Amino acid sequence: MADPDRDARVSERYRALGREQPPPELDAAILAASRRRHSRWVVPVSIAAVVVLAVGVTLRVQIEERKDAEDIALSPRVMQAPASPPAALESRAQAAPQLGAREREAPAEASVDRAEPADRASAGVAVGKVSAPPQTPEQWLERIAKLRDAGEVREADESLAEFKRRYPDYRISEALRARIAPR
Amino acid sequence: MLAYRQGDAGAFETLYARHKGSLYRFVLRSVREHGLAEELYQEIWMRVIEARGRYTVQARFTTWLYTIAHNRLADHWRKRGLQLVELEDHDAPAPPADEPESRAQGRQSLQRFAAALAALPEAQREAFLLHEESGLSVADIAAATGVGEQAAKSRVRYALAKLREAMADG
Repeated sequence: MADPDRDARVSERYRALGREQPPPELDAAILAASRRRHSRWVVPVSIAAVVVLAVGVTLRVQIEERKDAEDIALSPRVMQAPASPPAALESRAQAAPQLGAREREAPAEASVDRAEPADRASAGVAVGKVSAPPQTPEQWLERIAKLRDAGEVREADESLAEFKRRYPDYRISEALRARIAPR
Repeated sequence: MLAYRQGDAGAFETLYARHKGSLYRFVLRSVREHGLAEELYQEIWMRVIEARGRYTVQARFTTWLYTIAHNRLADHWRKRGLQLVELEDHDAPAPPADEPESRAQGRQSLQRFAAALAALPEAQREAFLLHEESGLSVADIAAATGVGEQAAKSRVRYALAKLREAMADG
């Protein structure tokens, strides 16, 4: 049965008036707006993903450098001359040009040498600022050591606990452990 | 729409492609000014984007879209104080001098139809345009325009009767 609310002839005449479409620039503006509204979430998620990736890569490089540094620490030659950058670190630094000079030196300084306070200071490690996020695990541990040195027992304990939560599988060198462990 | 609400930006593009022509013509034939139609059309889609969080699966997207369109046009008519809008000239381009007689008759017939559509009371024209462009049922038109089903049906039928009359005159 025909729909009493439709009339094919009227519909046909109506369609003959034209099948106008919105101008393409209007389409583009609306679609862009729909994507912008979405990007409110998409952008932070992408940033978070990039940060996680960057931290992961940095951590991996740092761990490998630290292993190298520990190997080097066993060498008497390096023990005698801690200020000069070890050859192995130099070659790795060339393979990882994105790391800054200070970052390259930090693991060696943290693992190899305990008797160079001036160098440690030059590594730019913040002391007493628990709320500031540490850039690398190495720098974080160094900051805990500084807190211990400064007698900030509670902050050092809290920071160490937080570090263990964040990096449960991180291997802390013996030398460093002696400096950061509760006394 | 649910996919778009949940973060699928491509889902919006699909919806947009499906509804853009019919919604645009619905707005254009309602206000009969291209510039104004474009402005209102864009605002309707912006409302859709802003309101996507309130969309629920219970509502058919087409009905929801035209409910938003109806509300935006109702705002527009309220602001205009229900003033009558003259039919613009883009619906009736000047005839070429050497136009054959049969084509001239067809064009005049179409102009009469366009004039009859423009002369419909706002509510009847809206109901007719929704019926033609959105493909909504009378029940959905009633839901989108906030009236009872019987009222929506009467509007569509009155509109059809007047348009048939305009066609018979030609």
